[in-house]
This record gives sequence, C-alpha cells and structure tokens, in this order.
Amino acid sequence: MAGRHRHRETGTSVVVYADNYINDIEGEKLEEMCDAFLAKGFKKIVIDFSGTDLVNSIGVSILIGIIEKIKGKGAVVFSGLKDVNFQIFHIVGLTRHIRVFNNEEDALKGSASCDGASL
Amino acid sequence: MSGVDLSLERLLFNLNTLAELGEEITSPKDFTRVVKSSLYMVMGTFSASKGIVFQYDQGDGLFTQIASKGLTDVRGAGLKIGKDAASAIIRNNKPVDLKSADPIIALLGPGREFLERLGARVLAFLIVKDELLGLIAISDKFSGEDYTLYDYQLLSVMGQHISFSLHSHTLLMRLMYRYNENKGLYENLRRIYYDTIHAFAAAIDAKDAYTKGHSHRVSSYSAAVAREMGWSADDIEGIRISGLLHDIGKIAVDKSIINKASPLTSNECKELNSHPVIGYEILSRIKFPWKGIPMMTRNHHEKVDGSGYPDRLKKHDIPMGARIMALVDAFDAMTTDRPYRPRLSFREAIDEVKDHYNRQFDPEVVRPFISVIRKEVLSEVENPTIVPLMHEHLDPVTLSRILEGFPH
Ligand SMILES: [Fe+2]
Repeated sequence: MAGRHRHRETGTSVVVYADNYINDIEGEKLEEMCDAFLAKGFKKIVIDFSGTDLVNSIGVSILIGIIEKIKGKGAVVFSGLKDVNFQIFHIVGLTRHIRVFNNEEDALKGSASCDGASL
Repeated sequence: MSGVDLSLERLLFNLNTLAELGEEITSPKDFTRVVKSSLYMVMGTFSASKGIVFQYDQGDGLFTQIASKGLTDVRGAGLKIGKDAASAIIRNNKPVDLKSADPIIALLGPGREFLERLGARVLAFLIVKDELLGLIAISDKFSGEDYTLYDYQLLSVMGQHISFSLHSHTLLMRLMYRYNENKGLYENLRRIYYDTIHAFAAAIDAKDAYTKGHSHRVSSYSAAVAREMGWSADDIEGIRISGLLHDIGKIAVDKSIINKASPLTSNECKELNSHPVIGYEILSRIKFPWKGIPMMTRNHHEKVDGSGYPDRLKKHDIPMGARIMALVDAFDAMTTDRPYRPRLSFREAIDEVKDHYNRQFDPEVVRPFISVIRKEVLSEVENPTIVPLMHEHLDPVTLSRILEGFPH
C-alpha cells in the first residue's frame, strides 16, 4: 500500500505528494500510508501540495484525519501550497496547527522534530 | 454561537462544496459511497475531526450507523427515540448543539450520553417532507473555534442535500419509487442551489446602490431569451445561474468607483473593466453542475464587432450565453437609474438596441429578445419576466409602433 502514492524518502523524513487524489475518499489511504512510514521509523512527514490544484472539503477532512492519526507519533508539515490552497487551509484553521513551508526542501530543512508544531 | 467574518474565500470554498455535494448525491455511485463522501464534505467544511451518519428507522425508532470517520469504536448502546421525540425533532428542523440546553437534546434520553461519548458536538437531523430519515453528528472543530450562526445555516443546507439522497434511497428500498414525487424533490434540490447563489448575488448587488436587483434581472431576462431560442432546461438553468453571478468580479472593485456619479478616470475605468476577468477567475475555481458559467461571465462585455472587452472577441468567438447576457445586461442598465443618468424609456432603450444592432448586439439574440417582449405584451406567455419590470404600460399598438423598422 505504501508504494501506491507518489512519495520520496530522505533520511528520517519522507515527502508525500498529495496531488489531486487527496480530494476523493480514496485519498484516505494516505492516512495508513503515513502511519506505516512512522511505524517504519521515519520521524517527519512532509505533505507536498505543489501538484494539487485545489483542495476541496473532502481533502481537508482527510488531512485532518492524517494529523489526528499521527498525533504524538511524529511530525507532519506542509509544503508547496498554492495561494488558493493556503487560503482554504487558513479558513478551516489548519494553518494554525501545521507548519507551512514554501517548498519541500525548506520543509525538510525545518527542524526534524518540529516539537508540538504539528499539533 | 458567534459572528464570523464572511470572506469571499470562505463563501467560495463553501459554494464549491455545495456544488460538489449536489453533484455527488445525484451521481449514480453506490449509496454507501455517496453518504461517506457527503460526510467527509461536511467534516471538511467545518474542520470537524469526527463525524457519523445514522439512518433512522421509523418502525423501531432506532438509529443505525451508515458512515463514520475519526471514530475508533462506534459499537455499544445505540440511539433510540420514540414517536413523540421524532415529531418534535421534525417540527424543530434545525441543527442543535449537543452541549446546549435545547429541549431537543433532552428528548434524546440516554442517546445523548452515547453521542457525547462518540465526541459529537453538533447534530443535524435529516428530514424530508415531515419524515425523519437520519442524523448527522459532527465533533468540535479541529481549529478549536466555536460553531457560528453561519455554520449552523450552512450545515442545515448541507443536511437538506444529504436528506434528499437518503430519501431517494429509502424510497427505492421500499420499492415505492414514484416519479412525480422524486421530480419534486429534484426541483427542491435546485432550489437550495438557487437560495445559496441568490443570497450570494444579493451580496454583490448590495455593493452597488444603483443596481439593486440587477443580477436577478439579468438572470431572469437571460433565461427568458435562452428559452425562446430553444435551449435545453439544463442550459437555461446554467445561464440563469450565470446571470446571478456575472458581476461577481465587482466584489474586488472599489465600491466608490462602482457608485461614482462623475466620469471615471482611465485608471478607475481600467479597474471597473477588470471585473469580467476577476469574475472568470473566481468562478473557474468552482465546479458547477452547469456548463460554461466562467466563460459567460468573462465575455459578457464583448461586442459582436470585436470592440468589447476583455478579449475583443468577434461574434462567433463569443459564447452564445455571453451574447445573450451582453444584450440583457445593457438593456437592464438602460432601463434602470444609474449614478450618472436617469433611466431611459422603453422606446429609447429599444432605439439604442436598434442603433447598435449587429455592432454591439448580436442579431441572433436581439430577434428572440424582441419576440419574448412581443409575446409578453400579447399575454402569450404564462410568466412574463421583462415587460412587468418596465416602468410604463406597454400595449400591442404602442409596441408595434416602437418596434417599427426593426429588422425581423
Ligand atoms: Fe458587468
């Protein structure tokens, strides 16, 4: 399952590309995928949205599910948000709980543990 | 409950969700999937981390879970209510806060504790035609914010959407599919769209003191012309919606420019003229169940001779819907008072249309427009939309005099 969606492992971090499948209930598979990465010993998950056109309400609920699922097990940060997606995350309050980086490289460089910033 | 800043972004996000929800519940996908997607949409809208949908059985009064998210264990004591409680819920017919002192909550009996244990905070009962069909319960917001009055209204609208889907399903399950009844429901569903978009259009019109109701008139005039041209019911609905939203880009234009009585400076003019493009950008972000809405909005100020804006398109390159809106938009602007001039009489407005025939306005649109007016004056249509809004009486004799020399 962990191989189904586009991702990139680097050190103790992994970048997961949300693309557009985040907008369908099938996107929920990402939740188990992230959980599996943490079980394998990865410390940080970067969810990258550079390939995502517009996150919809289903996408938002799936992201909240992911954040809740890995609460306390590791850190999750976002990167590559288009303006419109940043605004949506702002509206639904996600930006208050998740650190947002311009691109995946910045996100990987950001502190590996991200102390409570993920929650 | 508290107030909230209703930003354009929030409205668009919510409008987009309503459009997707409408598409989802009218899709032929299997029922469980539709309910699940709908639940996720509700949860994403309010950033709730937990949610559950129950179906209600009138026979035994039991609520059965049909979809959930974010809940680890939903087994155990269920939710059951009696007939009296059900009728009270139907009469109340609005979302309730599980932590409030609302009498509806007391009616849930031990079910209240069950819902609290699940982490529920707000309950929206699913009701169609005085029938309780189910319940959707969502948790507190992930963001920690309170639910606002607007949230309650929006949840109510979404709940109605989901109720319809549950209702059609229930009907099928009972093998009591009645075509006419369902047709009525479908119209109801469209009504919800209209209500939401109308409210939104009213907000646009409110920005412009002089054009009160302009969007609504452009909407109904466009639909009348499209109908005359033989468009399908779906496409007529699309242009109706487009008419309501055609000036949405004005939201981004300074209010003082829109209401200015003196001539505009070239910069102000540029800003005002940017509204079709801004509108296009806003609307192309929304997945509408109708075709062509963003382009109709973008091109409603084009002229058939290519001298319009923003794309300076010529006749055949302008979408037909935009050509219709260009005419009725100008006609309504002429027949209503504006900051810089009082309204023209019907005759003066028709003379303008005649003067700009085949230059600004497309003959293929002007002809059906005139024929709608003629039919309305001759009382040949059931629901006249244009003539009753003219500030003068039009009889067949006056009309034919006014239309004299008009190319048929
Ligand atoms: Fe306009």
